[in-house]
Amino acid sequence: MKTINKLIVLILMFTSVVFSSCDKEYLDELPTEDISAVSATETADNLLAIVNGIHRSLYLTYQGSQGKGGIGAMMIQNDALGEDYVMTGAANGWFNNAYKWNDHTNANDSDDLFPYRTYYRIIRNANIVINGADGATGDEALKNAAKGQALFYRAWAHFQMVQLYGKRYEAGTENAQLGIPIRLTAGSGPLARNTVEEVYTQVNQDLDDAIVALGEYSRINKSHIDRSVAQGLKARVALVQGNYLVAAEYAEMAQEGYTLMNADDYFNNFSDYGSDEWMWGSHIVEDHTLFFANYGAFISRNYSSSNIRGNPKAINSTLYNTIPSTDVRSTIFDPSGDHLNLPTGVSLLPTHGLRPYTSQKFLAVGTGDSRMDVPYMRVSEMYLIEAEAKARLGAADAASALLDMAIVRDPSYTLSTNTGTALVDEILLQRRWELWGEGFRFYDLKRMNLPLDRNGANHIQALTIVFDVPVGDNRWQWLIPQDALDANPLLVQNPL
Amino acid sequence: MKNQLHLITSLCFMFVVQLCLAQKEISGNVSDSSGHLPGVNVIIKGTSNGTQTDFDGNYSITGDIGDVISFSYVGKVTQELTIGYSSTINVIFEDDNQLEEVIVIAYGTSKKDAFTGSATQIKAEDISKRSVTNVISVLDGASAGVKLTPANGQPGSSPTIRIRGIGSVNASSNPLIIVDGVEFVGNFSSLNPNDIEKLTVLKDAASTSLYGSRAANGVILITTKKGKSGEEVFTLDVSQGINSRSIPEYERVNAEEYYPLMWEALRNGFSISGTTPQNDANQMASNQIFGNLLTNPFNVPNTEIVTTNGQLNPDAELLYPEDLNWQTPLLRGATRSNVNFSYSGGSEKTNFYSSLSYLKDEGYIIRSNFERITGRINVNSKFNDWLKTGLNVSATTSTSNNAADGSSVGLANPFRTTRLIAPIYPVYLHNPITGAYLLDESGNRQFDLGENRVGSSSGRHIIQETLLNKDKNKTTSLNARTYAEATFLKDFTFTFNAALDKRFFNNTIFDNTIVGDGATDGRGGRDVIVNTTTNYNQLLKYNRDFGNHSLGVLLGHENFHTERNFLTGFRSGLVADGNDELINFTTTLDLDSNTRNLTREGYFSNVTYDFNDKYYLSGSYRRDGSSRFAKDSRWGQFYSVGASWRMDRESFIQKINWINTLKLRGSYGEVGNDDLGSFYISQALFGLGFNNQTEGGILFSAIGNKDLTWETNVQSDIALEFGLFNDRVSGTVEYYNRKSKDLLFEVPLPVSSGVDDFPDNIGDMTNKGLEVDLNIKIVDNDDFKWRFNINAATLKNEITKLPQEEIINGSKKLVVGGDIFAYWLRDWYGVDPKDGSGLYILDLEKGEVGDADVRTTDDGTVVTTNQNKAKFDFVGTATPDLFGAFSSDLTYKGIELGFTFTYQLGGETYDTNYSALMHSGDYGVALSRDILNRWQKPGDVTDVPRLDDNQVAAFGAGSDRWLVKSDYLALRTLRLGYNLPSFIIDKMGVRAAKLYITGENLFVINARKGLESGQNFNGTTQNRFSPSRNISLGFNLKF
Repeated sequence: MKTINKLIVLILMFTSVVFSSCDKEYLDELPTEDISAVSATETADNLLAIVNGIHRSLYLTYQGSQGKGGIGAMMIQNDALGEDYVMTGAANGWFNNAYKWNDHTNANDSDDLFPYRTYYRIIRNANIVINGADGATGDEALKNAAKGQALFYRAWAHFQMVQLYGKRYEAGTENAQLGIPIRLTAGSGPLARNTVEEVYTQVNQDLDDAIVALGEYSRINKSHIDRSVAQGLKARVALVQGNYLVAAEYAEMAQEGYTLMNADDYFNNFSDYGSDEWMWGSHIVEDHTLFFANYGAFISRNYSSSNIRGNPKAINSTLYNTIPSTDVRSTIFDPSGDHLNLPTGVSLLPTHGLRPYTSQKFLAVGTGDSRMDVPYMRVSEMYLIEAEAKARLGAADAASALLDMAIVRDPSYTLSTNTGTALVDEILLQRRWELWGEGFRFYDLKRMNLPLDRNGANHIQALTIVFDVPVGDNRWQWLIPQDALDANPLLVQNPL
Repeated sequence: MKNQLHLITSLCFMFVVQLCLAQKEISGNVSDSSGHLPGVNVIIKGTSNGTQTDFDGNYSITGDIGDVISFSYVGKVTQELTIGYSSTINVIFEDDNQLEEVIVIAYGTSKKDAFTGSATQIKAEDISKRSVTNVISVLDGASAGVKLTPANGQPGSSPTIRIRGIGSVNASSNPLIIVDGVEFVGNFSSLNPNDIEKLTVLKDAASTSLYGSRAANGVILITTKKGKSGEEVFTLDVSQGINSRSIPEYERVNAEEYYPLMWEALRNGFSISGTTPQNDANQMASNQIFGNLLTNPFNVPNTEIVTTNGQLNPDAELLYPEDLNWQTPLLRGATRSNVNFSYSGGSEKTNFYSSLSYLKDEGYIIRSNFERITGRINVNSKFNDWLKTGLNVSATTSTSNNAADGSSVGLANPFRTTRLIAPIYPVYLHNPITGAYLLDESGNRQFDLGENRVGSSSGRHIIQETLLNKDKNKTTSLNARTYAEATFLKDFTFTFNAALDKRFFNNTIFDNTIVGDGATDGRGGRDVIVNTTTNYNQLLKYNRDFGNHSLGVLLGHENFHTERNFLTGFRSGLVADGNDELINFTTTLDLDSNTRNLTREGYFSNVTYDFNDKYYLSGSYRRDGSSRFAKDSRWGQFYSVGASWRMDRESFIQKINWINTLKLRGSYGEVGNDDLGSFYISQALFGLGFNNQTEGGILFSAIGNKDLTWETNVQSDIALEFGLFNDRVSGTVEYYNRKSKDLLFEVPLPVSSGVDDFPDNIGDMTNKGLEVDLNIKIVDNDDFKWRFNINAATLKNEITKLPQEEIINGSKKLVVGGDIFAYWLRDWYGVDPKDGSGLYILDLEKGEVGDADVRTTDDGTVVTTNQNKAKFDFVGTATPDLFGAFSSDLTYKGIELGFTFTYQLGGETYDTNYSALMHSGDYGVALSRDILNRWQKPGDVTDVPRLDDNQVAAFGAGSDRWLVKSDYLALRTLRLGYNLPSFIIDKMGVRAAKLYITGENLFVINARKGLESGQNFNGTTQNRFSPSRNISLGFNLKF
């Protein structure tokens, strides 16, 4: 009896080995936070999920940094490098070094890497969609919607970067200066820098393809890309290339279906991407907030971040003084800095520092919620592109193109009697009033080969340091990031 | 008691009858506290005549009267008894004697004699002498070559451990921790130190290789207590102590000094960096200094605080001098209370150990604390003569309120903020004219929210934030172990072990609506983590002695599975005050969950052989598979061989009578490290969680690597163990060499690929060192014992292969031939006596003589004032030359006195904290007193550059200026105990009673006041919750 018991126990114990070792799948584990790379391109729906991911990637935090909250942060970088955007205090330091031109001139600086790294991440995802569309199952219309938007993103990302890291595009030359590597597949091999001309050729090609692919696409909200946005970008690109006919043509086309905000909305509800004026923007829902890294955590007037309390952003006082008092845009900056006239429901805290000429153009959801819609393209820019392109072409209807927009902002505005350079200058001034804080100024200075001149305004010496940068200075080219050079022997650095 | 009587009777009997010599048959029974012992080797000494006890512990053997019978059993002290007239010899192995001689090893125990590996054991009696909340802390200084970074001041926090150098660059360098046979997933603070019987540190391949793919960084085995048969013991241990800060604050200037210093920074900015003539600059600085600091704590007008000659206005007096220290309201005298109760005992068949403990440990920062309740029951039962089983169950629940030190630079970090806030800013609001406190309606002082501060502290209030915010952890751990052990066919034992560990972790975050990151809406968060770990193993053991040969074989199989389930929620918009539950908020900011799984399976074997108790051999092999790796790369083989030679048992050594023990041992093996971070590191993936509003979105997340596999450690070890002069002097001298191969590196890809890198096994590194452990019994009488122990270890780390030529990471640079913690920093030259500029050696690729920012010094060195043109160089290392500990224990009658010092020689610390206090004009930021040595006028020779608000970045850039020697001597613990004499305890009706006082982290001597040497292995410092000092008074009663 005893022996039998013993035998049974031993057999049971030995079989536990068999039970617990068992099958081959025992050591296969799959994550729940990810899906396999293979299945991501299997269906059109999955491709659209990647495109949605790209939309989202415009408002993610990169490199683990509060100062790198997606495209909004890059817009701040671009404005901080210009003369129209004024820092009123050091606060907790974010973007202080960009303002001093210390970031993009240092290849080791993480802020120099930020656009390069981020845009190529967008490109990789776009390439996966573009190259995966043919092999995916699903409705052709869905595939086109995915591929068209991905083509747009690939064009946009290359265009944004070449304006930073390459020398400016000079119309009428070969533009053989080095731009950035053109990346058309989701590969990982090293690529050399293409010329600026090659980059622009590819950008235009992708945009043309995107416009075709998005011909029928009707989007559900303005975080998506439809044909008008692709046309708008094409107009932007053409303006930079000095291709004014195309710029004016596409800017006009892109305006279709949009209406400029009235003065009341401009003052009260500027940061609403649902507005008929907005063409493309990010709307950050509650659970996608980046907290202190949101665009609104730096540029809004009312959010209570250390950055805004200690460094509310101001407009260049000289520029401000050119805005007529009848223009709504004079009311969204406060020369006194007291901001006694705020939209209903908006208030500042006692801890908010008050500084002259600060902006209330952008308002976050509240003092405790930094979200606001991030503007990437508004139709007023299309009016400005059209007007500028036509003015540069000497077209007769240039002034009336400007009037269409300016009169909405300022009811006292009358048709300009300026012509030639004077008209162009008037349009450019309007452009600075209109697009303050939206990430255009560095691009515009570089596009037009203008020097940086921060003198004579409200820039504070200790914070600004750099008041002048002449045209042709090497610092107009962002340095190729050291990380990129280290991992790719084919890359060449810009002149230091 | 009955058993003891029995033994004594037997022994007496033997004495009586031993005179008569005759060959006879002897029989008897062998037992220990848990009952009869089968498989005990019974040999007539000096002959090959031997047998083993049967399942009931009985034996019979033939011998002559006067022969010596040796009874030996793994884990027990061999007993030798002389045959007398009695034909019955019963033996009881005493448990108490086995501690010295048996060590806990992988999947079992071993006689220390037979052990060929390198291990250090810390016993319960040593643990009980310490008032530590986290049991791992007792390892500090306990073993040569084992280095700990002290736990931070948050009660319950764990130290980090490195055994024999740094095993990995990017994967984990943490040792494997096994608690009662199972890999530990969780926090050590869930273990009650009083429940621990032994902590064993396994250092070399021979001792660790049975853990295969997890063993590369060494193994720490934690064994909990068992009951002893026949002995029912109640113990009660109560202690009460105080916690305080152990590392003092850096010395900083006061308000009267600060204003003129910052005046000087402003003035020099105008006159030296700028072009303003000095007199104008003086006037401007006097006028403007207030505007740069925004708060005037003095009773003089804002423009007259500092005179134009840079002195504080002689009429200036502080309006509220008592309210300028931010650390006073933050620090407190904290208490630690601990009650431990245990009850253990057993019958012949069953033994048990049970315990309950309560601990409340407060941090010395307001609102930080740790409260823990633990319970454990360990029951072992002999079901019959061949089947044993047992259950060891413990439950712990703890609650801790954490002081936020998560980010060294975070504004919510009270350590950073109170260290760096300028000494001119008051904690509370004051009338700026009279200095009187501004009271609210109810007459209370109001916190100054910093509208009149500059720098990052404006609009914040760290004291109020600390008081109002919450970061609270609640943890419940349940651990269960069970086994069944059957003996069969005389020499075989089969054991089945099963374990289930559950850990429920719940974190609550609340950020208030008034001030700080949560203002103005208020935020609340929850993290819930549930870890479930199951482990099964089956062990088949065979032990047999053949005359002078003895053989042990182990075959085993093991399954390990761990699951981590994570749920997080974060909401804002507080509705009603005083409730941090998520329902009380309006807006969901984050809601996520995920589950991560890791599975491993292993087959292993171990063979030990010894001949004549002199020559020992062992070999281990393990084949391990891990779900972390792709199908074709997941199985690995690990092995070790070890040998030892008891030279003291050779006749040529036995002739030397001052040598008692001499053992030479060595081992060689290959073990792995599969802890490469993510459980899914080898897979190519798209990440979820990139939704755009309500539409689902994914993004490419990782390229993976299906060839990725574990890191390998090739370890060799040779040691000489000795005991001299009647074991008055004993110790070990040991040399090891660890070669880490196939180290994980994230290999960078072109940035234009849109992927940063991919993981691969590239890179080799070596750690080698000499370890010495010396124990001296200075006095060794019954009444008076005095022991002294010292251990010391050297460490040489060298990188031997890298994926790139160099990898720069923060203040370090990795190159082949270099040390993992070699500093790569700007080469600071000093200060130019002419104008007080900070000078760096010029990098000739970045500038040349003639540049405006390049100078040539009197000694001909080419230097620059521009930190961006400075030359980087290898300027030192954080790796120590020598580190270890010394301790002493003295007992005189009932008095026990002991201490442990730890020390380090060599290595340097990069003192970021200090550099932040040595800025050249960062308004609103405190200054070290060393700034008083700054350059002030031409001709001043100093190493501290001038104050100049334009040069903060240039003069303060990261350089070897901030390196400081890491050498330290720390009194880790001091303990004094008094065992009450028997006439008192008899009256009390207890078996033993002891009063004690213990101190932990009592002091550190190092290069700089405020410096916490050894805070991180890599030599950096953070603004962390520095370790706390504890002094406890307690008593221990045994019934």
